[in-house]
Amino acid sequence: MTLHTAIVKTEENKISSEEAKKFILSEQNGAESIFVGRVRNENSGKEVTAVTYDVHDQAVIKSFQSICSDAKSKFDKNASIFLEHAKGYVSVGEISILIAVSSAHRDEAFKICRYILEEIKHKSPIWKKEHYIEGNEQWLPGHSLRPKEEIK
Amino acid sequence: MQIQLKLYGSSKMLSDKEILNIELPNNSNIETLRSTLNKIISEKCLKNNLENLSKTAAFFSATDEVVNDNYKLKNKELISIIPPIGGG
Repeated sequence: MTLHTAIVKTEENKISSEEAKKFILSEQNGAESIFVGRVRNENSGKEVTAVTYDVHDQAVIKSFQSICSDAKSKFDKNASIFLEHAKGYVSVGEISILIAVSSAHRDEAFKICRYILEEIKHKSPIWKKEHYIEGNEQWLPGHSLRPKEEIK
Repeated sequence: MQIQLKLYGSSKMLSDKEILNIELPNNSNIETLRSTLNKIISEKCLKNNLENLSKTAAFFSATDEVVNDNYKLKNKELISIIPPIGGG
């Protein structure tokens, strides 16, 4: 098996980079690229304490599998990919997304990692609500999935 | 007719429940749903937070496919509202 995608419910589990490293380990792949996204303590001048991630589970898993499959077709069909995204409350410093890729060569490993991240931001139905130190919270703006020709 | 709107992201400000039941005229489509949603946002005084939601949201059918504005809604149909996304 060379592809693992999952949504990790934060009240039940944590995203583990050790699991990711084990999953992508392969004798035929000489390069590994790992992207770890963590919740930052600041955004647009506001002090952030945590982010709640909301996820449309079925559509996200479908999009993850399609994105990873496209990435393999484009860059390296023998690549191994581990992709997990958090769902629920994630405190500052904790992992929100982890993409681990092993490939035959470094260029493809870097490219696959970057491709997956950018595609997720534009295709996977995931939303962020930031929690601030003052006690208030805000859903962040994002990218509309409504067909462009319909938006007047 | 009535549809069930499953709420995601910022649209969760519309209700404490995961699903919002919305009354619509018979033979409504997604365009009608957008207008009704706009009224609900005004009634709940959420214009400041959700001003563009009815315009920018996409809608998924029960099979998780984006449906366009001409899509005819069925009575009791479950539709997901997909506000602009931004994960990662």
